[in-house]
Amino acid sequence: MQRASRLKRELSLLTMEPPPGITCWQNENQLDDLRAQILGGADTPYEKGIFNLEIVVPERYPFEPPKIRFLTPIYHPNIDSAGRICLDVLKLPPKGAWRPSLNISTLLTSIQLLMAEPNPDDPLMADISSEYKYNRQLFLLNAKEWTEKYASQQKRASKPLEEKVNQSETSTANESTVQKRKGSNISKKEKKSRLES
Amino acid sequence: MESSDSSDKGNIDQSEAQRQSQLDRLDREEAFYQFVNNLSEEDYRLMRDNNLLGTPGEITEEELLRRLHQVKEGPPQQNSDENRGAESAEDVSNGDSIIDWLNSVRQTGNTTRSGQRGNQSWRAVSRTNPNSGDFRFSLEINVNRNNGNTNPETENEPSVEPSSGEDLENSQSDSEIPRSESPSVRQPGSERSTSEELTTEEASPPRGQRRARSRSPEQRRTRARTDRSRSPINPVSETPRRSHHNTSSQTLDHSSVNEAEGSSRTRQHVTLRQHTVGTEMPSENAVLFSTPETRPVPQAAGSSETNGTSESTTPGQRPPTIVLDLQVRRVRPGEYRQRDSIANRTRSRSQTPNNTVTYESERGGFRRTFSRSERAGVRTYVSTIRIPIRRILNTGLSETTSVAIQTMLRQIMTGFGELSYFMYSDSDADPSGPTPNQNVDASEPQNGGGGTSSNESTDVSSGEVYEGGNEGGSTSGARREGRNTRGSVTFEESGSLPFLSLAQFFLLNEDDDDQPRGLTKEQIDNLAMRNFGESDALKTCSVCITEYTEGNKLRKLPCSHEYHVHCIDRWLSENSTCPICRRAVLASGNRESVV
Repeated sequence: MQRASRLKRELSLLTMEPPPGITCWQNENQLDDLRAQILGGADTPYEKGIFNLEIVVPERYPFEPPKIRFLTPIYHPNIDSAGRICLDVLKLPPKGAWRPSLNISTLLTSIQLLMAEPNPDDPLMADISSEYKYNRQLFLLNAKEWTEKYASQQKRASKPLEEKVNQSETSTANESTVQKRKGSNISKKEKKSRLES
Repeated sequence: MESSDSSDKGNIDQSEAQRQSQLDRLDREEAFYQFVNNLSEEDYRLMRDNNLLGTPGEITEEELLRRLHQVKEGPPQQNSDENRGAESAEDVSNGDSIIDWLNSVRQTGNTTRSGQRGNQSWRAVSRTNPNSGDFRFSLEINVNRNNGNTNPETENEPSVEPSSGEDLENSQSDSEIPRSESPSVRQPGSERSTSEELTTEEASPPRGQRRARSRSPEQRRTRARTDRSRSPINPVSETPRRSHHNTSSQTLDHSSVNEAEGSSRTRQHVTLRQHTVGTEMPSENAVLFSTPETRPVPQAAGSSETNGTSESTTPGQRPPTIVLDLQVRRVRPGEYRQRDSIANRTRSRSQTPNNTVTYESERGGFRRTFSRSERAGVRTYVSTIRIPIRRILNTGLSETTSVAIQTMLRQIMTGFGELSYFMYSDSDADPSGPTPNQNVDASEPQNGGGGTSSNESTDVSSGEVYEGGNEGGSTSGARREGRNTRGSVTFEESGSLPFLSLAQFFLLNEDDDDQPRGLTKEQIDNLAMRNFGESDALKTCSVCITEYTEGNKLRKLPCSHEYHVHCIDRWLSENSTCPICRRAVLASGNRESVV
């Protein structure tokens, strides 16, 4: 019903049926500290990037939204250099749109969607946002560069911001190769689910 | 899927201890769940309203049971049956909690509270007349910036006592009681006679009821009339006070207000007052919010400070006092003419040909007028907010303390913020302010110049003393936040003065927008409730993602979405929309339905 059991259910759902391009797991067995990965969607400057996120579940979850931030640097109008994400479903009403019927899976999907469709009118990074609006080419270039620099899987091991997933490091690396191979498929599926949502 | 690998791995690596503790937690949650479902409706309400349910997963069933017995045996808490009978706030006994106080304001509409923090003492009185729908809230704060040096009686420590001076409360409330409109008569809509009392008060000589000028918390709150005779303040030292009128961020509000305080370190006597007086239209409520910056000279007789003297503020003479006096009353047809409303008087008096500036804004049905006028070196700010009475009627007279009032208050407070904002931009001598006017510009040099210099000089003299008080304020703000079970208000740590936090809490704590947040207990209890029966199709509560089991209590929102009672109640206590469809739960509330 409340946090613990709900989280347990959510995690098992995330494990059984993760949204396309998204993985989520417990960090060091902490129930309220999760990690997630979002694959950069095809036809976005984040393509082939693997973005790590930190999910901190507050005590009052689900009456409060989880706190989600990017661990991997990302060049995006709505995500700042600390990884904080400007997204309405991550905030409480009346400003935000969080509600208890949402869950971590839907939030991650929303973030995935935000990556594909930045919202320059509600910018967190003003300069990136104006770049996105008025100089899309440059924006794409920069975003791709960042993706390669910070989010490409080859560099994952040496990334400074990367949290140690110690024991599962190798397995996740393998996993991401798999995901990369499947990349195109996944992103098509993603698009579909975006339309639906 | 490949992802299951890593998750499983994580699970497998889970240490035994952690797993065990999580299992325990799950067990407790399960037990909690069971316990809540087995409660009778009355018991459930009792526990919920007394905030005894604790956190699921942490509280044990035994503890819950013990609490239930305790609350049943003990005398009913004042907040367990609000709105009926409960009288004035003196019974908010464990008065250290502002939250309690606010609750009881909302519930009974009649409270008096006071306290002292650091070198500031505050007192807040609010009362509601259920018959006439009048509501009055007044807040008076004395800031004794001197106390570090000259006034040993006031405690100067930043670490504020949690008990915000209840000892003062009784005596003060005693003094208040005779003036309060019999709160016991609470028959919604039955009578209007009580409004007469207000009328009388308003008709009484303006200066007769002036509150004492000492910094003692026992100061009388002044009544409607006195507003312009109060507050001899250095006009410019006051003007820096401002807050952001968009109220989009309380944090902003706080910091700016604080900043304003900091920059106005003169000893000043500030009176902020809000009145409601008769309006032209019988169908409207009018709230006049007038913030006399300085007293017009003819009125100055009552106190020693004239505008001129306030510029050369003599330190040590007068502790700064901030009074926020708000009255909201319903206006009956015909009343207006006899009343000769403050609004009109203030305005007419200050409407000298040269120096009147009026801004108007309209938002959400609340019309605001802001005017600034200046005469003989005295600046008067008047902000009038008009609130259509239907907003009040919607909720019914019986709920004068409910959301409607809160919305109004918020509007008023927003107006106040705007007012301050204007005042601020005014003092900045920034002609690019809203509707810049030649007259404004013309008047700036006189007042702005003189005031600024005096401001600076006093700045130096009382600066560090002020810091102390400020610190105290911030501590208390933080403390209050910790207590704020709603968790919705973030008091800026860096030096929010208690009184302003209080005002903000009272008026703005609901949200940053103009929409009210949670529902009241009555509103929640009025929603349909049923027991889940076996015949029902299998369904899941989307708050806890758990399937309903037989015997579960479900609540059905107007949009037909159902949830566990305890799940949705918690959500609705802080929010007002359906978690699934986001439709407003209160159809007729003063909030526009989200469709």
